[in-house]
Amino acid sequence: MDISVFYNVFSQESFGALIAIYFYLTGLSAGSFVLSTLAYVFGMERFKPIGKIGVILAAFFLVMAPLALLFHVGQPFKAWHLFVHLNATSPITWGSFLLTLYPINCVIYGWFMFKGNKKMTRIFGTIGVPLAVFVHGYTGFILALGKARALWNTALMPFLFLVSAMVSGIALMILISIVKDRFFSKEKTINRDLVFSLGNLLAAMILIDLFLVLSDVLVLLVSHSEAQDVARLILQGKFGILFIGVENVMGKIIPALILLIPRLRNLTTVTISSVLVVVGIFFMRYVVVLGGEFLPLL
Amino acid sequence: MTQVRYGMVIDLRKCIGCHTCSVACKRENAVPLGVWRSWVKQIEKGRYPYVRKSFLPLLCNNCENPICVTVCPVRASYQRKDGIVLVDPHRCIGCRYCMAVCPYDARYINPRVNVVEKCYWCFHLVDQGMKPACVDACPPQARIFGDLNDPNQEVGRLLATSPVQVIKPEMGTYPKVFYIEADLDALRPERKD
Repeated sequence: MDISVFYNVFSQESFGALIAIYFYLTGLSAGSFVLSTLAYVFGMERFKPIGKIGVILAAFFLVMAPLALLFHVGQPFKAWHLFVHLNATSPITWGSFLLTLYPINCVIYGWFMFKGNKKMTRIFGTIGVPLAVFVHGYTGFILALGKARALWNTALMPFLFLVSAMVSGIALMILISIVKDRFFSKEKTINRDLVFSLGNLLAAMILIDLFLVLSDVLVLLVSHSEAQDVARLILQGKFGILFIGVENVMGKIIPALILLIPRLRNLTTVTISSVLVVVGIFFMRYVVVLGGEFLPLL
Repeated sequence: MTQVRYGMVIDLRKCIGCHTCSVACKRENAVPLGVWRSWVKQIEKGRYPYVRKSFLPLLCNNCENPICVTVCPVRASYQRKDGIVLVDPHRCIGCRYCMAVCPYDARYINPRVNVVEKCYWCFHLVDQGMKPACVDACPPQARIFGDLNDPNQEVGRLLATSPVQVIKPEMGTYPKVFYIEADLDALRPERKD
């Protein structure tokens, strides 16, 4: 039957690109922090060179991330309300404390690391790991509690966010350690061992991420009508190129193939695949946030 | 004496799609240009000569279990004892989380003051014993407002004796705007394929 909407009022954009950028930055921060603890908390000595870079990156991104939030909210000077009028059922309330505690812990952890105090580094690193998981996991809950939007309202969302945080964090760490060794170290030689073991870790994380995305989309395709609509939107609609092409093929499948096939793997291709992953994960945040709120609800 | 619980019935057998409710709301609440607290969705369907225009007046459902109140990080959104859901403009920081999670698109950000606003059934009039502006203005009296718990009011009588439905009952928000004879094609979003 022919049906056409003759008159309707459409909603304003609620989250938009700034929130996508915010999620991306917290993801990079959490990923970098977990990597920096691999050596200093979990005792994996081969990852020692990235410990200090990791904590600097984690603190830096976590200072930048709330700036995106302040630009996004309508009344940034009322941000102190978040610490006074608490609502235990709102993920944003959890986040206002996580976003305060986590960078403070980062700075203390980094300070002891640079001082060479192994015991205190270990203690604050151990405190930091769950904080890093929650500081990014809670952003997944922000979206998962948005029950109006089929793309967001899934219990997979916090996991998807955590895994993609690790993916983007590892890729950025590969890039930074290559640049640092190549241009700023005394020997000007790249630590190949480190780069390739990070590459293996990256490949494993990408495979988990692909599995989560696959299960998410498969369930959306057979779920209720709005879920089917949003699945079509990200597979073949306005976000099709970004979701399939940029996020998954360019940002996950091609880098995973490069990292897993020994003949393709060398320093140049690992660098290229890390760049692809860092860009791809940004578009993952973009598609989730803007694609999720794209379809009209009524 | 039971607790007062406000609700609204919109009788679409009477609605003529004249948008008077939208205009009355704008005037009463000084709603800025480009945003609406109450509006009328209109669809056209069928092919000549078998055609119909269906109307769906939309506004905040002042849900019994409001997701906006659950997620508001500063408790600016809250529910009164009589069920009306309000936004405290002094406390709202404009984070728009409530706008993102509302299944009914009932909320907007006021571009003049940068805080979130929505329909609250003209509580300032209701508290003085009057009706909300849209109910008062509706020419065919298709909107009926009152206490759901009072069996002697028209809203209670209509609810008891008519087949009614709400928008998106699957959301579990328990909306308190009930529609008589709403059209399925108007209740759901347009599909473009």
